[in-house]
Amino acid sequence: MAHNRQPSSISRRTFLRGTGVTLGLPWLDSMAGGLRASTGPEPQPPCRLACLFFPNGVWEKDWIPQQTGREFDMPFALEPLADLRDDLLILSGLDKAHSRQGDGHYAKTANFLTGMPVKKTTGRNISSGGISLDQLVAQHVGHQTPLPSLELGTEPVISGVDSNVGYTRLYGSHISWQSPTRPVAKEINPRMVYERLFGAGDGSAAVGGQHQHLLDFVLEDAHRLRKQLGRDDQFKFDEYLDSVRAVERRIEFHQNRGPDQWDPQASGLPEAPAPGLPDDFREHVRLMLELIVLAFRTDATRVSTMMFANDVSGRNFAFVDGVSGSHHELSHHENNPDRISQYTRIVRWHVQQFAEMLRQMKSIPEGDGSLLDHSMILFGCGMSDGNRHDPNNLPIIVAGRAGGTIRTGRHVSSPRNTPLCNLYVSMAHRMGVDIDQFGDSTGELTEVDAG
Amino acid sequence: MRVRRCADLLVRRVCRSFPRLIVLVGVLAGASGQAGEAEAWRMRFSEEIQPMLTQKCLDCHSADYASGEFDLSKFMRPERLIETIDVWERVARRVRNGEMPPTGSEALTDDERAAMLKWVDNAPRDEDCRQLASDESMRWYRGHVMSRRLTRFEYDHAIRDLIGVDFGLAATLPSDGAGGEGFDTTGDSLFLSAIHIERYLAAADRIAGSLLPKDAEPTSRDLMLARQRLLAPGEDRESEQAAAEAIFLDLASRAFRREIDTDERERWMQWYHDARQRGDDHLAALRSLVTAVLVSPHFLFLVEVEPDEEGVRALTGHELATRIALLIWSSLPDQALRDRAEDGSLLEPGVARSEVRRMLADPRSRALGERFAIQWLDLGSLGSGRRPDAERFPEFDADLAEAMQDEVIEFVVSVFRDDASLLSLLDSDETFVNARLAEHYGLAGEFDDRFRRVSLDGSPRGGLTTMAAVLTNTSFPHRTSPVLRGGWLLERILGERVPPPPADVPELEEEGQALVARSLRERLEQHRQRADCATCHDRIDPLGFGLENFDAIGRWRTDDGGVAIDASGRLPSGEVFDGPEELKQILLSRRDQFVQHLIRKMLGYALGRPLNRFDQCVIDDTLKALRRQDYRASLLIEEIVVSYPFQHRFIKK
Repeated sequence: MAHNRQPSSISRRTFLRGTGVTLGLPWLDSMAGGLRASTGPEPQPPCRLACLFFPNGVWEKDWIPQQTGREFDMPFALEPLADLRDDLLILSGLDKAHSRQGDGHYAKTANFLTGMPVKKTTGRNISSGGISLDQLVAQHVGHQTPLPSLELGTEPVISGVDSNVGYTRLYGSHISWQSPTRPVAKEINPRMVYERLFGAGDGSAAVGGQHQHLLDFVLEDAHRLRKQLGRDDQFKFDEYLDSVRAVERRIEFHQNRGPDQWDPQASGLPEAPAPGLPDDFREHVRLMLELIVLAFRTDATRVSTMMFANDVSGRNFAFVDGVSGSHHELSHHENNPDRISQYTRIVRWHVQQFAEMLRQMKSIPEGDGSLLDHSMILFGCGMSDGNRHDPNNLPIIVAGRAGGTIRTGRHVSSPRNTPLCNLYVSMAHRMGVDIDQFGDSTGELTEVDAG
Repeated sequence: MRVRRCADLLVRRVCRSFPRLIVLVGVLAGASGQAGEAEAWRMRFSEEIQPMLTQKCLDCHSADYASGEFDLSKFMRPERLIETIDVWERVARRVRNGEMPPTGSEALTDDERAAMLKWVDNAPRDEDCRQLASDESMRWYRGHVMSRRLTRFEYDHAIRDLIGVDFGLAATLPSDGAGGEGFDTTGDSLFLSAIHIERYLAAADRIAGSLLPKDAEPTSRDLMLARQRLLAPGEDRESEQAAAEAIFLDLASRAFRREIDTDERERWMQWYHDARQRGDDHLAALRSLVTAVLVSPHFLFLVEVEPDEEGVRALTGHELATRIALLIWSSLPDQALRDRAEDGSLLEPGVARSEVRRMLADPRSRALGERFAIQWLDLGSLGSGRRPDAERFPEFDADLAEAMQDEVIEFVVSVFRDDASLLSLLDSDETFVNARLAEHYGLAGEFDDRFRRVSLDGSPRGGLTTMAAVLTNTSFPHRTSPVLRGGWLLERILGERVPPPPADVPELEEEGQALVARSLRERLEQHRQRADCATCHDRIDPLGFGLENFDAIGRWRTDDGGVAIDASGRLPSGEVFDGPEELKQILLSRRDQFVQHLIRKMLGYALGRPLNRFDQCVIDDTLKALRRQDYRASLLIEEIVVSYPFQHRFIKK
């Protein structure tokens, strides 16, 4: 009964067609159960959420369409999305008011998904002001998948503090915050991401069941130790306790499902990426985005974030035609036409990678549509014009229909001072999180709604 | 009268925070002699300095128009002058270097300038240290060091030294950020996610499994030796249980960096017993024990327990040993250090000092270069992120980047190992190169992959500022940047603050790909004609131009695109120089500023927290000691290790 790896019904086969993969997908299990019982409507695939961040802002004239509604011309930087326009919602006019204070970068990045004030500090009392959208959602839906969420990037945490502006640079390296005071570590090594999702390929799952006793024992010891610590230290130490519990939950998840229900080894997964960090940045980004698609497709997780690079990234983009400089320097374009042209080409390159990911998701059939139809992929940055570090009128795109609840194919321009967090409330609802308020939201962004 | 009032103020402030601390009154009464001096110093401020500041500085540095976000008026209350002495020292430094008041503003007369500098130099620092650095008053000293997890490098080194095999685990963990004085050793900025536990667990499995494989021998000689080391304490015991206990006690006391008490031992042995009951054989249960030790919070966390009473306590010998080992080796204490901890002798300053010297001479002190120097000099991202353009500089690749970084590491470590003068960091006639770097530098001789010491006689290089890693990391992909280089020298070497440019100030125009050196200098000079740019760039750019003889990947050059390099500069102080050698002489003439900054960074790295004004006492004492003994490098570490904040734990409730 539990073995549903053999596609035996038309509709299930449909989901897997073209993917070359036959996995014991958790949500497929429940769907199969529904089919077996032959009662009720056919269950819908779950909704997935990914939030993709790129650094250093955009040249707005090349990003924001001139017209609103369905009939708009694709601006230069968004041209790579031309064939996907019916799957997109381009949003302008959304602000992050709490980033109007603070420095140019750190106070704009760490709160990309929290919308709250970033505390000015080089170490003590680090805070992004709130939990991030992805982590809030993961807390609600994370128990349904092996991994509650997946946090990705391409660069290590920026080391050091910026004593000139008074912020620790780690703010520029984190958009996922489990709590206001706790950033979630991101993985930048594609091979490690793959092994985290599917095991090391030696038959072992990423985390084995034999560890249950061990973790119980360690946890008990940790509780004893916690009592001897000072108050601040206890708070810090809770990270250890919470993380051990999280790993225990993963083990339980595997055990409750039984090994034959979640055994990606037995099925045709794509080959694991080569070990180590890719030399080529383009390859690195491509792999990371593919891993998100793979994780979503196999329902290893339903929530993910990805940072194309840390903020203030000085990466050299000479590999893009017409560009001969580094990202952050060019984002300070000083209104010089040549520099603007290079800057906007860098942004356009990021859009291209995003478009490629969407095409992949669109090609994967799922339920009555595609994987993309059952997803929300947020793509954007915590500032608009990088030259001015402008936290208003942010560049934001949402791709996917979230199971038909988003009316895509439009450019929606919101009135001044509409919080970006209003969009986040609407997105959280679609992920099944029942909240009235998030960050500095003043309501929902009803303009995204379908029909 | 005034003396009494001042003492009252201080006491009231202390007592407001901590009502129980009436005992301090006695301390302060005994210090009334110094208090008189301090009061005279404060009066000098009110009578001489304040009027001058009001007239010549507050136009810009006030709440209404806080230039550089620096509102001087906030620091002028006489009773708070000592508390904010670090601010006044910064002010004095800018005045001394002729940077303030800036060109275009009314200058200080020579007398005013001298009065200002003398006033700051005569600050009653000693009073501050004597009165406040006592056990009692330290209670309100925010010197609290957070219990924290090991950094990923400390974890990696600890496993290496605990097991005896280098598993290269640092790369399996997410990277760590930094806080405090800019180092990853800061507890506030070290976080732990589920992914860490997954990796710790996977590593522990791998290690236990490769030392104690099921029905097999370890697969290499190193692993075989490591297994013998692990199992040795269990040999010739009366039972498997007794053997397991001996093995556990040995491993855990090293891993947890302390003795294992009876309760704890019984709990762990009970757990071993339970594993046997569940059907594990001796070896399998041992594997579990090893795995559990390696994921235990006692291993992964730097734990200093706190009693219920708030206040200050001296570290135990084992705690001190751990702090010292993390500082010098980024790893665990070794047997010799543990022995000193065990018999308590490590708590004697003389023993601690000789341990420091012993440990610096050990190869493990390479960690000071890898972890301290690279973070201090901000060279961690060399070769990733912003890197030289591949077409313009095809020579630059990952191997060269690594060689550049290794030069800095080898060089800094050699200064400590040889107990050389810290000033040789600024100027030296030796460095370390391998074949790749020797070729890059154009050095003649036989070289291979290994780094070796070479003489730089007759070469324009020598010291950190002319190393390729520094010069590359402070360049743009296509060209050098005198602004980035000057800013780096000010911030990293001299410890100055360099405010970021305001968002709306135009930067240099970029003209195509190649920039002609002369035009770059001209355009920077033009830029500096704007008064609001000049204030900062007058002190940044000239320093950077002193290094223009090195291209964007640190190679020597005498011309750029056919235009001769002009590496001359004039500082706001009026000092002039031409070329890197003369620039280094100017840096050396500010040796105390450099050494003070280095002490500050090392202390911040050692304590893993931001420094505060009381730490300035340690910095001052260390500077004095270094001056007396030719800036001997090991003395820097010794002084920090025997200092009050390093030897004590502050407990706040």
